[in-house]
Amino acid sequence: MIKKFLSRFHPRFVRSLVYMLQASEYHVGEYIRWYKRVEDFRCVENRKKLVWTLKSAGLYVIAWVLFFFLLALTIPFLFFKGGVGYVLFVIAVILVPYVFPYVLTVPLLILQNVIQRPIEWFIVRTATRLLKKHKGIKIGIAGSYGKTSMREILKTVLETDLTVAAPPHSYNTPLGISSFIKTLTGDEQVLLFEMGEYYPGDVKELCKLVRPDIGIITGVNEAHLEKFKTIDRTQKTIFELADWLGGTKPLYINGESDHAKRYAEENGYLNTNTFVYSRDGVGDTKVTESNTGLGGTTFTLGREEYTSKLLGLHQVGPLACAVQVAEHLRVPSEKIREGISSTVPFEHRLEPKTDSTGVVTLDDSYNGNPQGVAAVISFLGSLTGHRRLYVTPGLVEMGDRAELVHKDIGRQLAKAGIEQVILIRNSVTPFIEAGLQEAKYGGKITWYDEALKAFEALPHLTVSGDVVVLQNDWPDQYQ
Amino acid sequence: MKTVAVFFGGKSAEHDVSIITGHTPIIQSLQATGDYEIYPVYIARDGSWYSSPEMNDLVYFKTDLEAKLSKEKKVRIDINDGLTLIWPGLREKKVSIDLAFPAMHGTYGEDGSLMGILRMAGIPFVGCDLAASAVAMDKAFTKQVMEAEGVPVVPYVWFTRYQWETKRDHYLREFENLNYPLFVKPVHLGSSIAISKVRDTGELKNAIEVALHYDDKVLVEEGVENLIEVTLPIMGNEKLTFGAIERPMNDTDFFDFSDKYLGGGKGEGVNTEYSEIPAKISDELSKKVLEYGERTYRTLGCSGIARVDFLIDSKTEEVYVNEVNTLPGSLYHHNWKKIGVSGVELCTRLVELAEERFAKQKDTTFAFDSDILNKAGGQKLHE
Repeated sequence: MIKKFLSRFHPRFVRSLVYMLQASEYHVGEYIRWYKRVEDFRCVENRKKLVWTLKSAGLYVIAWVLFFFLLALTIPFLFFKGGVGYVLFVIAVILVPYVFPYVLTVPLLILQNVIQRPIEWFIVRTATRLLKKHKGIKIGIAGSYGKTSMREILKTVLETDLTVAAPPHSYNTPLGISSFIKTLTGDEQVLLFEMGEYYPGDVKELCKLVRPDIGIITGVNEAHLEKFKTIDRTQKTIFELADWLGGTKPLYINGESDHAKRYAEENGYLNTNTFVYSRDGVGDTKVTESNTGLGGTTFTLGREEYTSKLLGLHQVGPLACAVQVAEHLRVPSEKIREGISSTVPFEHRLEPKTDSTGVVTLDDSYNGNPQGVAAVISFLGSLTGHRRLYVTPGLVEMGDRAELVHKDIGRQLAKAGIEQVILIRNSVTPFIEAGLQEAKYGGKITWYDEALKAFEALPHLTVSGDVVVLQNDWPDQYQ
Repeated sequence: MKTVAVFFGGKSAEHDVSIITGHTPIIQSLQATGDYEIYPVYIARDGSWYSSPEMNDLVYFKTDLEAKLSKEKKVRIDINDGLTLIWPGLREKKVSIDLAFPAMHGTYGEDGSLMGILRMAGIPFVGCDLAASAVAMDKAFTKQVMEAEGVPVVPYVWFTRYQWETKRDHYLREFENLNYPLFVKPVHLGSSIAISKVRDTGELKNAIEVALHYDDKVLVEEGVENLIEVTLPIMGNEKLTFGAIERPMNDTDFFDFSDKYLGGGKGEGVNTEYSEIPAKISDELSKKVLEYGERTYRTLGCSGIARVDFLIDSKTEEVYVNEVNTLPGSLYHHNWKKIGVSGVELCTRLVELAEERFAKQKDTTFAFDSDILNKAGGQKLHE
């Protein structure tokens, strides 16, 4: 309590607030929620640091000016007659750092609405016109999870025969995509777009910009539930892509996502142009055999056998989907096989790394959704002859389902017989422990206060042949 | 939470190596358990003792150490009723230590000196006790003990600085009984410091002068033909666990300080990536190494952890015990890892072994009442 109070008077306070705004992508609601949780404003920048951009630097300067302005407003109290003036002055000075975080949002909102929004609107409109003239096939990828993996698989497979382009760094907002569109030469044969959904209507807006010819829905889950409030709204937003395609253009839906499959069934999205994919096949083409291990995954789709370096049977569905999209675009079958065999784990997505001591680390720090986690635990459970360690801070943005989701993770870990579970102390990991205990987990549970402490400890906890999964990573706003 | 003091640094040629051992794996592993409150105790080259939480991080020792130490208060110890660390000053702070973890290499630490203090304090401490540490620190003494026990050692001659200065001709004659090449070693230094390989009398005399510069006792021993050097880490008090037999893969004629600590190891700590683990030697040789290793460990009265070094003539298949290291650099955690013992498991097991030995020592009677004082001053006490 005292620490929280005193940290508001630390010179770092203003910088911390600007950092929180930047890390919240300048969403005021998210910033305020984070602000209310902070215990010590001196140590907010843990995992990342404030990045100096024109916007953040401008806001930083405005913030200091505003802070001193608020302090200046307290000076008149000193001129009050009698001792009451001094008392009021002290109270006002104490109150300034409490009022300031809210006042800071005023210039931000003004900047956003008066300057930023009109500029963005102009950029997006220009990009929309440019892309409308582009002759390439546009593929839109929407979903709560698995978008980047799907994009990378498709890119690798299609590139064997076609010229393919996709926005860098998982840019999936209108502004990010617009900046990518400016870089196109016009000769690209296929364009891949991830469509980010943060609020209802987002995917629809992106469809107007991208005008997809083919759509892929990689799954629906509780990600961003704190923003969407209900899973219904998430489903509806993601299926805005299906609405755009209107049943006349090909749509692929991940059948391993219950929320996606059920929504498609219940709302009449299944028709002759819709193909459901899963580890069992895609559309009417069946997967007859599949195997996975630390070396990669093999599967037979129809009559063709494919090999990929991707880990886990949950990858078979997206790989099969990529095969069918490639066939649809008339990529020769030998090129498709070559493309599938070129798919390798993506950075921070079940990416294996073997260190000099023979410890295999599966970096899955970008995977923070319950379905992805279940797939990884299932994969880890299938590995025999290794001691397995599972490190996690839990998942974020699970809303009211946090307890349910994390207890379930605990039960899955216990069922998979993972030898050691390493948990980072926060609001959700006790639920994982509870799930482990409910399932009478026989392995070892180890706790660390911070993820970095756990990472530092790992070399001393492991020996040659051990497999360590680093599951998800919590940005500062969720600490 | 148990308080553990980790001692490192020291007035020793292996001061820096000790700092590394203290941190990797000891402090880092104990921190990883989350079960201990760790107090790093750093003994500077001048013998001053310091302890501050920042010293738990190896980075502290990498730059501007002197400047940092000048701002630190020296820590004192009290050995009444256990070991207490005392930070003097207006707000004096005291911490009672439950267990000591020595990470000292070489003189004034690994040689039994520190163990003497800890024995007097009456707290459990990790690793070999005073007697084993003192014997193993003297390479000549170790050979004498092992030879008496019937464990093969290479032919050797030892002498002190005084003996060399007063009976040089006698020792030169004795050297004639040894076959060149010979190795000249200061008996108390570890990490192969000031060890020379010589091929004739001229080189031998020079090497002895070098060795006597670092130590007042020197060992001259025969080299082994068709040499394979191997080493065996051992852990335990009564029941022993063997590490992997490891063969250092050095290019030079012998395994010197540079090879051990400076020679391009890429991993953490010392002794990491220059070895063959397990050593590719025959089952027969492995059996001999394990047998002599165990006999050496038990004969010297080692406990907790130690490492026995061997010289093997690959043609005759003769195995010789060369020396014993009662605190292997970085506890040879890279070797233990190869057989499935992590740094955390190694350090926590060593803590358990220290507590186990301490509990047994408690059962031993060291003092008894007598009326000898009443008789003092009367008739003679001893015939």
